[in-house]
Formats: sequence, C-alpha cells, structure tokens
Amino acid sequence: MPLEILAYKCRKCGELHYPLRMVCRKCGENEPHEFDTVPLPKSGKLLTFTTVHNLPPDFNVAKLTLGIVELENGMRITGQLKIPTPKMGMPVTGKVEIVREADYSKNYGIVFYPA
Amino acid sequence: MREVYVVGIGITSFTRLEYPLSEIAAYPATVALKEAGYPKVDHVYVANMASARLNHQSGLASAVVDSLSLTPAGATLIENGPASGGSAILQGFLGVASGMFDCVVVTGAERLREVNNLEATDAVAALSHPLAEQIYGVTLPALAAMFTRLYMQKYGVTERHLAMVAVKNHDNALDNFFAHIHEKITIEGILDSPEASTNNPYVAEPLRFFDCCPVSDGGACVILASKEVAQKLGKPMIRLAGVGQATDTHCVHERAEPTELLAVRGAASQAYKMSGLTPAHVNVAELHDAFTILEIAESEEVGFFKRGEGHLALERGETRLDGKLPINTSGGLKAKGHPVGATGVGQAHEIVLQLRGEAGKRQVKEAQVGLTCNFGGFGNNVVCLIFKRED
Repeated sequence: MPLEILAYKCRKCGELHYPLRMVCRKCGENEPHEFDTVPLPKSGKLLTFTTVHNLPPDFNVAKLTLGIVELENGMRITGQLKIPTPKMGMPVTGKVEIVREADYSKNYGIVFYPA
Repeated sequence: MREVYVVGIGITSFTRLEYPLSEIAAYPATVALKEAGYPKVDHVYVANMASARLNHQSGLASAVVDSLSLTPAGATLIENGPASGGSAILQGFLGVASGMFDCVVVTGAERLREVNNLEATDAVAALSHPLAEQIYGVTLPALAAMFTRLYMQKYGVTERHLAMVAVKNHDNALDNFFAHIHEKITIEGILDSPEASTNNPYVAEPLRFFDCCPVSDGGACVILASKEVAQKLGKPMIRLAGVGQATDTHCVHERAEPTELLAVRGAASQAYKMSGLTPAHVNVAELHDAFTILEIAESEEVGFFKRGEGHLALERGETRLDGKLPINTSGGLKAKGHPVGATGVGQAHEIVLQLRGEAGKRQVKEAQVGLTCNFGGFGNNVVCLIFKRED
C-alpha cells in the first residue's frame, strides 16, 4: 500500500484541513479531533520555494530545497523538493519518503519531483 | 481603563554577552529603576523564549525578581516566541490599566550565543509546526524566503530593495552604541561587486546573509506606571496610548493569501483604535525586520503605505532617518540585533528615547507618536504598541 499524507475532514461541516487540528476552522463546533481522514492528492503546482543553506544540525547535508505546493484539490502542503531547477507554478508530483532522521526517529513526509 | 505611562527604560548592548541570563534580564531593569527613582514595584514581567532549552534555567521571572531584590512583588515569565517582549508589555499595560497595579517592571532577555548558530537556528525553528513544517527542515529564514519569492513576484520587490533595507538599518545602527553590528555596508559591496557572493552568501534563497538579523544576546526593560506615579517624576510624559495583538495560522501554507500578514494588520488596527490615532500621526516606527522583506511588508500592513508600495517608499528614501517616516532608527533587528525575548522591549526602548528627544545623532525631530511591531513565529502572533508624548 502506498504511503499517504492524510487530510482531516470535519464530521460536522465537511471542511478539509491539513495538518490535523483539534477544532474545525470553518464551523468551530465539531467534537475535539472528530475528523474523517482522507488521503491528500499528491500532484499540484509549486507555489513558492527556497533552498536553505543553514539547516538544523541533524540534517547532514549542506543545503535542502523546500517548497509550498498547491495540490489538485486547492489545499496546500509544505514539503521537500527534489527538483534541480524549481520554478514557481511548475507542475509537481509527490512521494512519501523519510524526510528527517534524528537519533532513532524516522520522520516520513512528502517529497516533490517534477511531474 | 486607566492611562499608562513609561517611567523608566534600560537596555544592554545587543551582542554576545558572557553573563548569566538572569543578569542580562535584571541589569536593564536596574538602569530603568534608577531612572524612575526606585518606585514601589507591584509586578515583574519577564519576556524570554528559550531559557529552559538553551540556558538550563526555568522559572526565569522568579530568579530575576529576586536578583533585583523586589520580592515579594509578583513575577511572571512570558514566552511568546519572538513576540515575547511585546506580549509582556501588553500584559504589564493591562496590569496598570486595570488598576490592579500602580507600577510594573517589564524586562526581556535572551542568551542565544550560549550555543552555536546552527543550534540557535534549530531552537528558533521550533516555532514552526512540528509535523507539517519542522520535519522537513523548515527554519524561520526558509519561511521568510518563500514569502519573499511570492512578494517579489506579486509586487516587483527585488534583491536590491532588500539590500536597501539592510544598508539603511546598518547606517542607523552606526549611531546606536547598544547595536550588535557597527558596520557600514553598501549595495555595491553586498550585491554588485565580484566578491558579493562571498561577502553575502545565500542563507535561504533569495535571502542572503545581509537580509537576516544576527543571533544576539541582550536585555531591555521598560517600567510602566499610572499617571500619578509618572507625574511625580517631572519628566516628559510618554503614554502607552494603544496596544493590539492578533494571531494567524501556525502553518504558513494554511493562509488563504500567503503574502498577507493578517496578524500585523489586526494588531496595528487595534492599537490605532485604542489610541485614537491613525498611521498619518506616526512620526517614527520600529518594525520587526528579522528579515529585510519584513520591514517592507510590515510597513504596508501597519498602514504607512499602500499594499505593494512599501518598497517604493523605501526607494524614495521616505523611511530613512531624514525621510518623512523614519523606520528602525535603532538599526532594527537587522543591525541593532535580535535577542529574541528582549526584542519587543528593545523596540519600545527606542521609541521612548525618540519621543523624549534623547536619541542623540539618530533623533527624529519633534517626534510625538511612535509605533512598534513585534512579530512572533512567522507572523502567527503579533503585538503592536503606540506611544505618544504628552506635553
């Protein structure tokens, strides 16, 4: 089964959120954490990006490219980019991979490639 | 609500300081208390972001109130990221305005240089969303850089405009003894010359080294009091005339319009409303230029310039010391420095100096009204303050 990033759909009003929050941003009246999970689409267009040259010490790389992607359903997500020359507005497609390893913890997140 | 006045101010140099954090917090308070004639203090508010993580000190306010020998006055630590200082002033304001307290000490302090720059960057990056931002390596410069790219595309801001902010604020800091950086820079040296890429490398593209504030230690203090206490001192009466605070989503990607800083707009409009003043009344401002782009964007969001025109006003020199609305006369976070918890209090310190007419070579002539904008996280928690001289 492919790994997914989940969006959270309010059981009261249907509003989608990413990441998880306790109370719905739209209706504000759901029971705490009462959301249905829905996989986020993985394709979209690159809204903005940066290459960071000054990373927290546990990333054993000199630089890393990050971006915000507007997904097919209009939601946005922050992720890493494996794109040699990113351009604003370019179509991208994501995969869920390990994005940060610190000590014994492995964090999975989304990595975008050119579509 | 009662009227609230500033009766004393104090500051340390913003630099690398080899003193314990509690002393960095207490020292500016001693300066301010002396200036205020040692009033009876009802409460001490201490602003700090990372004492437990970086300095192995929890409960900092209890240490500071005792070091100042102000026990049994109440003491409270306020941690609100980079907006801790502004938030502490707002809480102090509420204490005096409500009538519960007659005089309160608000002191902010940070000692980031206890660790190396990468660890300090990581400590500050802890402000971002743990699961949706931090795991990817998001840092504050990264968020500012992604914001900058959108701002450039939408409004035509260029790297040259960003450099103009840096040059202006470095120039202002040359006349500020307490500033972290006393170094004149030129656009040629940081952008145009063949050495520019080594002088001014990228930190998070398109932001370069000189677009980012330094990592500073430092402390700053203001003492707030009721009108009766202030009148006894026989000094210029500086009133904290308006306060405002607003928040925005934790994740930057969740904002409907990612080039808008709604928390800045909300905090400023509350402060204007309370004070009965408008942006046109403001003579001098300290904006939170942790990154050069933020001075431009905030100058629009607090209402000085139309949206998308802050960089044009900068180009015309309107925000220079000799312009019609000088911004960051202290050098701003860019050159005065950014000891996180102290920053918002340091901004208030500069405005009070300006309104008293005590700013020396960087004095703005006949300044009567000053505004501060203290920006927490990447704009998720913002405090604006408006000070007014009453003669």
